[in-house]
Amino acid sequence: MKAIEADARRYAWCRSRALWMMGESAPTFLEDAHGAQQADQGALLRFAARMIGDRCAVALNVVLNHDRPIPTPSMRCSWALERLQGHELWQPCWELIRGVDDVPAEEIVERCERLIAEVCAVVGEMPNPLVPEGHFPAIALARDWIKLLDVVGEEAPMPYGRTLPT
Amino acid sequence: MLTSPERRHELALRIERFHGVTLEQVLGEIEYLRDADDTVIAGGSLAFGLGNGLSDLDVIISGPATVGSSSIPLEHFIGSLRVDAWKLSQSLIEGSFGRAEKALAAEGELLGDFGDIDQEDELKLLHRIAFGVVVDGCGLELEEEGRDCRRVASDLVMREYGERMRASALVAQLAQRASRPIAAVVNARLAVENALNAAVAQRGFPFSGDKWLGERLDAEVPELASLYEPFHRLPADPARDGAGFVKAALHICAGILNLDLELDALATAVRWHITEDLRLAKVGADQLLLAPRSGAIWELDESEAEVWRRLTTAEGDEQDEGWGLAACDPEGAALCVHLYERGLLGLSWIEGVPIGALDVERKAGV
Repeated sequence: MKAIEADARRYAWCRSRALWMMGESAPTFLEDAHGAQQADQGALLRFAARMIGDRCAVALNVVLNHDRPIPTPSMRCSWALERLQGHELWQPCWELIRGVDDVPAEEIVERCERLIAEVCAVVGEMPNPLVPEGHFPAIALARDWIKLLDVVGEEAPMPYGRTLPT
Repeated sequence: MLTSPERRHELALRIERFHGVTLEQVLGEIEYLRDADDTVIAGGSLAFGLGNGLSDLDVIISGPATVGSSSIPLEHFIGSLRVDAWKLSQSLIEGSFGRAEKALAAEGELLGDFGDIDQEDELKLLHRIAFGVVVDGCGLELEEEGRDCRRVASDLVMREYGERMRASALVAQLAQRASRPIAAVVNARLAVENALNAAVAQRGFPFSGDKWLGERLDAEVPELASLYEPFHRLPADPARDGAGFVKAALHICAGILNLDLELDALATAVRWHITEDLRLAKVGADQLLLAPRSGAIWELDESEAEVWRRLTTAEGDEQDEGWGLAACDPEGAALCVHLYERGLLGLSWIEGVPIGALDVERKAGV
């Protein structure tokens, strides 16, 4: 048996947030990056790469340092980068957040893919909800996490923030 | 300007070219969601001429007899095309426009009420209805007479992004002063992007989310694209070069939206408020800042603890409402920025940014 070195509430809260970022946001922006590369849309590619850097830094920070709460979106990458200083993935995260526009599109996409793979190796894998074969498995995994969060008395990250007022 | 059938034809060509899928196939796939007299409207990047071969197709299904609404869009896959279908009652859409009109007429801040940086669903919805392509059906006849849906949707984005720009400009300056250079340059770039999004909306372009700003500027507003160019990339060394970057960004923002963004001017209009259940606990010689709801704890040094006590017990401030930024001394402001960066404080504005203050063309009577 392997001990998890954090209390259950904190572990569930942090890991679920990180997984959702890497499982939902990162594939969305990676898809944007691929689409932008194919269509020669440099501005979209820059934006998608930045967002991938941002999500990777935050996901890494909450999993490695169990930091919570996550600050407002405009402050979260500086918050995460400060806490990740010295980590080998600080530099690739920062380079994407900073903005990449002096290298070929395919290299930007490669950097994004590499960073996502390296962060997922730390955070965990989640099926890609944007493709038919991953859509329902991703929902099933999200449901498992929601159940765990419910047991430990924490709120789930999704999908409550995405609904319209009724 | 293209007619409605011409726009439908263009959209049909685009998805056929990208995916080999026809609009009739799309309509067949989502037929089960339609009530009698429902209209199908395509919005989003593909409908607005921005999308690419991997973009999904966003459609809204609604009509006078629509029963119920889905909380989130329902995904469908037709070959390589992903269709996000949002079934919404007409009354919900009318309600959103009504709330938008009220919010635009009100003095209070709008910031985030119709979607934040991460989720812009309601802003996008209003633009999809106002600027979307009718794929099938008679179109929506929204009840309120005399309502210009496009004007309401554009004004809402202008005001939302004007307020975001003001907030980003403030935070960039506060972070610079508090020696948080990465936060400063990130927020300075955001301020420029927010100002440009407001300016694009002012020109009557449909909104499709932050990610399309650069493409929109490059394709259709080159005079604004050139203003954006110096801010694509943050300085390599924000600690060394951040101050100049922030200053240049604020200069551009003030020019685009004609607002006073000097820190002293902004500080009188904003208050800090506590977002967590924060409390200071003295344990022996230690000063601990607790956020019990998050199960989080930080150690403050004696001078930070003193600053915290000063902020939270200042005379004349109702603590439930936070404390004014203008009343903070430099140490207090710096501590507030550090706490804001950790998600423990928020900023609330005493007033919103009225459209009249943003719309340079209307101000000048153009």
